[in-house]
Amino acid sequence: MLELTLQAIYTGLLSGGFYALVAVGLALIFGTMKVINLAHGELVLLAAYVAYATESKLGLNPLLALPIAMAVVVSAALLTYFLTNHIKKDRELNSLILTFGLGIILTNSLLMVFSANIYSTSTEWFFEGVVIGDTLFSMRSELLAFVVGVLSLGGLYWWLNHTWHGRAIRAVSSNLDAAKLMGMNPKQAEMWSWGVAGILATLAGCMLYTTSVIHPPIGHGLTIKAFIITVLAGMGSIPGVLVGAFLIAIIESLTATFFQSSLSELASMGIFLVVLIVLPSGLFGNKRIH
Amino acid sequence: MSNFRIFAPLAIVMYIIVPFLFSGNDYLMGMIATALIIAGIALAWALLGNLGGMVSFGHAAFFGVGAYTSAVLTMDYNVPVFLAMIIAGFGASLASVFMMPALRLHGPYFALAILAYAHIFMILATEMTSITGGAAGLLSIPNLPVFMGFDFGTKLGGYIVILNIVSLALVVYHLIRRSTYGLALKAMHDSELATRIVGVPATQLKAIMLVVSAFITGCVGAFNAHFINFLDPEYAFSGEWTVIPIVAAIFGGYRTLSGPVLGALFIYLADQLVFKSLLPQGHQLILGALLGGMILLSPSGLLPIITNMFKRFSKKGDAQHVES
Repeated sequence: MLELTLQAIYTGLLSGGFYALVAVGLALIFGTMKVINLAHGELVLLAAYVAYATESKLGLNPLLALPIAMAVVVSAALLTYFLTNHIKKDRELNSLILTFGLGIILTNSLLMVFSANIYSTSTEWFFEGVVIGDTLFSMRSELLAFVVGVLSLGGLYWWLNHTWHGRAIRAVSSNLDAAKLMGMNPKQAEMWSWGVAGILATLAGCMLYTTSVIHPPIGHGLTIKAFIITVLAGMGSIPGVLVGAFLIAIIESLTATFFQSSLSELASMGIFLVVLIVLPSGLFGNKRIH
Repeated sequence: MSNFRIFAPLAIVMYIIVPFLFSGNDYLMGMIATALIIAGIALAWALLGNLGGMVSFGHAAFFGVGAYTSAVLTMDYNVPVFLAMIIAGFGASLASVFMMPALRLHGPYFALAILAYAHIFMILATEMTSITGGAAGLLSIPNLPVFMGFDFGTKLGGYIVILNIVSLALVVYHLIRRSTYGLALKAMHDSELATRIVGVPATQLKAIMLVVSAFITGCVGAFNAHFINFLDPEYAFSGEWTVIPIVAAIFGGYRTLSGPVLGALFIYLADQLVFKSLLPQGHQLILGALLGGMILLSPSGLLPIITNMFKRFSKKGDAQHVES
């Protein structure tokens, strides 16, 4: 029983690293622009499909697809940014509908190009087992996704705190007017945040392809999960994203182990609603949402 | 006046001309009826968006709850179909009551909390196998009955029923908009803070809009269950019941009364008859593009532009008349 619990927590922890990677791009843009990019999950999926195409058509390791996927996804993210920027009024709500529409376009484009089939990686290296301390089991790819996730979040945290562009993003997100008065160009900071979100989505997409299966409709579910984690985290808190992702993933994994895997999503949604209602500003948010 | 100008011809076309021309063609009648189903949801969505100022991505939840309520009541408890459809509306309203904590949230938070609720309802419908039949779904849900000598179970009968539901929803929407509540809601849209200060119970009003919107959507969902006689969770709570109505309402102009209805008729029929044959796979791509395009180019919808053009045109006509 203990062993089972530990394994469930371990599995949850590993997928939590991946969830954090998916969510952090959404959280970053939300922090800078108060825009929820409902096409974020589709951007992740787009990267996963580029990895699939690289592997199946060129016969390369899907990780080598990263540069191509990055070029594709970052351009898509920047395009989304420019379109969002053209919204004339009530950007907060209209951007939701706009990015929702863009998500539909992306999903259906993937459906047209790659059909509704389910794909997963054929590189066996990823499937091999890794055993830690005789009991805790995982696939190599899961461990890799966890490491990539945690490192990316660490890197992002460092970037936001120690580089000029990162600081500019934080300045714009905490007080737009003051940042403008200091001579900052908010558009540039916003563009950087979308670009970086694109890079993070690419990493997430490649990890998605190596750990799991892909087919067009899952992008929407990824967006929902990313949004849930962002809300749990509280606005713009990077450590919060990591904690929120671990929380959601471990709860899902425990529910799947001790009850039913079909109920795991119900459990995470339940946690989300409870937090949303009890602590509307999230676990790590310091501002009230209004 | 402008409402009358749009609705009088619309009513004549829908109640007289469409049945007269197409009643022999079951395929087409079925399709127009489904377009009206979309119109009903679009109207309910627009009511919440326009009067309540809330964008919802979860209307599929009300649709599905309504569909299941009516199906279970008629199959397991032998409730008459029309009565069950009304109870289904109350069932969906009850579901919306569970969503009320989300009313504390604003803008995008509300929109996405509702999305999460919709997901929960779908999972519940799949898991509560003893009531809903689980993922296998419910088969042979009773048809719409014969009532006062007319068989509503036919495609034509179904069409008339859904047309009446949509018309009733329009009347309710119109009455709410004209009432003091409507005025308060309109003021709330401009400044919620100011409205609260003069003593308008803003959250209560929003809650009422949510309940009304859910009721309409639930009735429409119940109608659909009896119209196609089949339900499963994937279908009843499908995101399509949210996506297409949103596209329709935005396209037609969700701040107008007729916009969502005309938008739904146009979008659904165009999707089924044109887009699907152009792009057999991924025809929703065009819907997504329409949605994005409308938000960027004309967020208040196509219909207001057309009526504006029409007004300008007729004004010009008047001016010339005076000159001559």
